[in-house]
Amino acid sequence: MSTISRSRSPIKLGMWLLLAPLCLWLLLLIILPHLELLTYSLSAPDEGGFTFEFYGEFFGESLYWRTFLRTAVMSILATILTLLIGFPVAFFIAKMIKGRSKGILFAMCLIPFWVSELVRTFGWMILLRESGVISTALQWLGFIDSGVELLYTDATIMLGLVYSAMLFMVVPLVSTLDSLDDSYIEAGYDLGGNNWNILREIVIPHAMPGIVSGCIIVFMLSLGNYLTPVLLGGKDSLWFTEQIYTQFITRFNWEQGSAFGILLLILSSLIVWLGLKVTGQSFTKTMG
Amino acid sequence: MGIIFLSDDIMQTPPIDLACENICKHFAQFTAVNDVSFTIPKGSFFSILGPSGCGKTTLLRMLAGFESPSTGDIKIKQTSVLNVPPNKRPVNMVFQHLALFPTMDVAQNVGYGLRRQGVAKAEIAERVAAVLQRVGLPDSGKKQVSQLSGGQRQRIALARCLVLNPTLLLLDEPLGALDLKLREQMKIELKQLQKEFGTTFVYITHDQSEALVMSDQIAVMNHGKFEQVGTPHELYYEPKTAFVASFVGDSNRWSGRVTQQTGETLQVTTKDGLTLQGVAQGGTFDDASEVDIFVRPEAIHVSRLVPQIRLDNQLECTVNNILFDGAKSQIIAIEEKSGGRIMVAMPQTADFKDLKITDTLYLTFSTEQALCFSHSQELDDVDH
Repeated sequence: MSTISRSRSPIKLGMWLLLAPLCLWLLLLIILPHLELLTYSLSAPDEGGFTFEFYGEFFGESLYWRTFLRTAVMSILATILTLLIGFPVAFFIAKMIKGRSKGILFAMCLIPFWVSELVRTFGWMILLRESGVISTALQWLGFIDSGVELLYTDATIMLGLVYSAMLFMVVPLVSTLDSLDDSYIEAGYDLGGNNWNILREIVIPHAMPGIVSGCIIVFMLSLGNYLTPVLLGGKDSLWFTEQIYTQFITRFNWEQGSAFGILLLILSSLIVWLGLKVTGQSFTKTMG
Repeated sequence: MGIIFLSDDIMQTPPIDLACENICKHFAQFTAVNDVSFTIPKGSFFSILGPSGCGKTTLLRMLAGFESPSTGDIKIKQTSVLNVPPNKRPVNMVFQHLALFPTMDVAQNVGYGLRRQGVAKAEIAERVAAVLQRVGLPDSGKKQVSQLSGGQRQRIALARCLVLNPTLLLLDEPLGALDLKLREQMKIELKQLQKEFGTTFVYITHDQSEALVMSDQIAVMNHGKFEQVGTPHELYYEPKTAFVASFVGDSNRWSGRVTQQTGETLQVTTKDGLTLQGVAQGGTFDDASEVDIFVRPEAIHVSRLVPQIRLDNQLECTVNNILFDGAKSQIIAIEEKSGGRIMVAMPQTADFKDLKITDTLYLTFSTEQALCFSHSQELDDVDH
């Protein structure tokens, strides 16, 4: 026993040294700020002491909780759309093509992310605004008489969200689908299966960890996205992160902003937990 | 009883389940299968035996429908299946790594094909239970695939196919991943199951022992062609080509030149100096033409005393090495005069118990035991 524990101690030290950056990162950038947010949101600004006032404000003012729900629903929708578009793309990359072209296609998914999110979003604005590329082209072709505004609708926000999250869905899907041996699919055909039920009974169950981890990442990114809804949705985008921004920066109401921040954290945790329960996956399995 | 059955078999030859006519498969750079034709009668165990890369897997995949032949026709029960996709062919396949679906339990795996056929739930449960009973795993329906041992997985993979009553069952080296003991046991089990179900099996392997033990008919394949099709007995005792003689079973092989010939009998001097007499196979030879001679180690009579009977080939050797392997032990002997090497099976008699290196041995074998084929460069390449 003693020899074992003695021989393990240097390994333990090394492990802690390796883990140190991660632990510091978690502590300084995640845990401490959130504890601070929590204290802010629960303390009365003037007299000090404990209060639920700012959470009450959230439930009292319909704009707040409606924006909150809208953000959640839109994010779920964006996640589903990303999955529906990303799955065939991932399947094509992982299973249909071989060799060099596989790497090239994968890189093509990655290339847009070399540009900053801000620039990418402006790119969409150049395409979609009233005097933009698409509107002008439609006029030139004679489909419409005057310019048409394609920005500042929910559909535009959705487009932006799906576009900016696509990579984070495709990467985990490609890696799980890559690990599905072709012989399983062949065995499915051999035993009389057609495309649809091989997809449903063999491919999707195998890819489930990838699907769930992709969905979690995309959902979190959409829920916490600020740039895309603001730039593509304009004044009416009504995204919850915007409300937080307004509280902190415009109103200088840090307590209210903190309460919103905590609520957003609770919401995202709750939906991810529900998603895992519904699909019967565990968090460790999908992340492993 | 046995005699009656036998005569029945001879009287009415069973119908042909599979007929392949002049099948070729060309890929961009090479020809994987080159003009192969054969027929398999109903209920037989047919093996395709060949080294890796000989085209046997491609051939099997064409039968399953995953590849289509460049030219030629595949007929199952007299009907061409070239335009039938794999999921509609009356053919099922046991994959090399079995491909049991890890996300389903055993019963779901076995029932997969039945669900595809739209069989009623109650009937699926009944047929799955019945087939699991027949493969000897009646209580494993609720188990996960990962809980099964290697041999049990084999049987589940078989059950998953056999439950569909296919006309043909294709097996792609399914025993390759098993350890030796289990493989020996599964050989017997597979043969037994094939007999019980009466399904036509097409089995591909590179292991000659698997093919010899289980098959009714074996096709030896090399470079995309069938070298010889025959019963295990025929392939072993009457190989038609040098490749078959060397690939099926163990053989002593010598390269040499013909020095004299009388009718079928050739006298050959081997490169390492032995003078042997053998029977010409596959055509006639000129004097001084290069030949390969094959002699099975167990066909050589070994004795420690000068033998009484004189045979055509008589060698006086010393023991160079003994490869002890229980009943399959072998002796490597060197002929004193010429320095030629010869491998013989060690007789399992008391005489040889105390045999040791440098002992003198007298080896004899008849002309008929030594088969001469024209020299094959390929076999030289394999050896070196």
